[in-house]
Amino acid sequence: MATGMTITEKIMARNSGRDRVVPGELVWTDVHTVMTMDYLGKQTFSKLHELGVGQVFDKDRVICVSDHLIPPPTEQFATMLNEWRKVVREHDITHFYDLGRQGIAHQIMVEQGHVLPGTISIGTDSHANTYGAVGAVGNAVGVTDAAVAMAIGKAWFRVPESVKFHVTGQWQPWVMAKDLSLHIMGMMHWNGHLIYKSLEFCGPSIEALGMAGRMTLCNMTVDLGAKNGIVAPDAVTAQYLEGRAKGAWTPVTSDPDAHYDAEYEVDITNLGPTVALPDKLDDIAPVEQVAGRKFNKAFVGTCTNGRLEDMEMMARILEGKQIHRDVNMLVVPASQDVFLESMKRGYLQILVAAGAAIDTPSCAACAGIHTGVAGDGDIVLSAGNRNMKGRMGSKNAQIYLTSPAVVAASAIYGVITDPRELP
Amino acid sequence: MSVIQGKVWVARDYVMAYDIIVQRFWTAPIDPVENAKWVMAGVDPAFDRENGFTDQGYTFIVAAHNFAGGGKSIEHVIAGLMGAGIRAVFADSFARLQFRNAINYGLPFVTCRDIAKGCATGDMLSWDTATGIVTNLTNGQVFQTVPVAPFVEEVAAAGGLMAFVRRVIAEGRVGELS
Repeated sequence: MATGMTITEKIMARNSGRDRVVPGELVWTDVHTVMTMDYLGKQTFSKLHELGVGQVFDKDRVICVSDHLIPPPTEQFATMLNEWRKVVREHDITHFYDLGRQGIAHQIMVEQGHVLPGTISIGTDSHANTYGAVGAVGNAVGVTDAAVAMAIGKAWFRVPESVKFHVTGQWQPWVMAKDLSLHIMGMMHWNGHLIYKSLEFCGPSIEALGMAGRMTLCNMTVDLGAKNGIVAPDAVTAQYLEGRAKGAWTPVTSDPDAHYDAEYEVDITNLGPTVALPDKLDDIAPVEQVAGRKFNKAFVGTCTNGRLEDMEMMARILEGKQIHRDVNMLVVPASQDVFLESMKRGYLQILVAAGAAIDTPSCAACAGIHTGVAGDGDIVLSAGNRNMKGRMGSKNAQIYLTSPAVVAASAIYGVITDPRELP
Repeated sequence: MSVIQGKVWVARDYVMAYDIIVQRFWTAPIDPVENAKWVMAGVDPAFDRENGFTDQGYTFIVAAHNFAGGGKSIEHVIAGLMGAGIRAVFADSFARLQFRNAINYGLPFVTCRDIAKGCATGDMLSWDTATGIVTNLTNGQVFQTVPVAPFVEEVAAAGGLMAFVRRVIAEGRVGELS
């Protein structure tokens, strides 16, 4: 009476030498790539040595990225980064993305083809769930798990229960994948029923999303408390990976008779631009309900919404316009590739001419430890992924989370603005 | 077979990893003694001084849902709690990222439904690790924890994942990991 398996179950089975797995089962799997980045990297390599191992299991499959504290804002971090570089070089790491070739780690992992469908990739930062966009299992781990994987190419997992989100309906103008993420956040709540679960996104509306939107959707599954988020590979995936994937791959998809703990139908026909109110990710509202509220800082970037599609959306809205004098707008492309392509297409020119500040790729203001930290009394409109008190710096700042479309439209007027209302 | 006894701190609200290890310590080394100096500083102003939480001498933490959530994956959270003398955390559910770290460090994060409703900060709890029963010695209430997975016990018995894997590597048994 065996049922079929979900995509996540299949990936865990395939990578642990099993014919099948069931939720709850503990397995050790092969790991295709392991990522570690600047502020935790040196400790990860130290732990590698503590295991009695001198070299990484595969120099091509340990991906090192400088992204949180680059370029270094203090002497202490400059020294830390130099120690990090030394350690990376000592281990002969093939793929090291440092200043000048840098990007946010999760963007780099997918964009540079280090994640392959049907495989498992882990990283020492919570938004590793992003990797699910190409039909892989992407998971965040601490430095211990990363060091173990760097030593032996394996990680342990408890196979998660799977939950399906079947999404139908046409995407409305100015509505982005971010709005769907926030909508689901509101449906399910931040502390809710999705802890440890594998979230599978499918249906025509998901198939209609480009890779950028799929990355946004998978990215924020960690903030739902889920184990991973995943979109089965299809023609969009194949086209994206053409000439990009660093390795051969075969697609893995869910069986028609796979078992899901829950299945949700989501119709996005009436989904409009959405905003998460300060302090709580699941306190969401349609933009028209909060339109007119003043803010003074606008931030677009991060592994959630720092891609070409996001730059293009903002350029479309801000072309020929001026950002309100009371608004400080900071835009940070998620990688040098995004930065370069945005330049070539004239998006950055439009943004600068409109009065936005552009910064070099990094996590920037998102976690409140680098460029664009929030101060007392700041009201931030952010396209990032978290808005709890103190997230971007001061505990006396307020963060509204939304899409790049809403941020750009609002920046023109200095108050939260529905992009559908733009003249 | 062992019984662990001690004072409990009960979370009144949702406790995030961001409150357990506040931002200015994210880039510090992972070290139980150092991390314990400021652990829980964001949870209560009373803990926002050096060893503010550690000095209270709690043995257990009891919480409701998604303990240590908010998405932070850093291990300082677990190291700090262990350095502060915490022997186990009982809750309805745990945030996935820190649950994993707890397993790797051998700090018991044990599922126990509704335990937060039956405890108050300062109560004395007694945990029988063989039966999984937690007794609140102060008010007499008894709670049954969900059994811990064999793998979790194995890792804890080895002294944490590092020790577990180090031995596997040294004994040439990596191929046996399944």
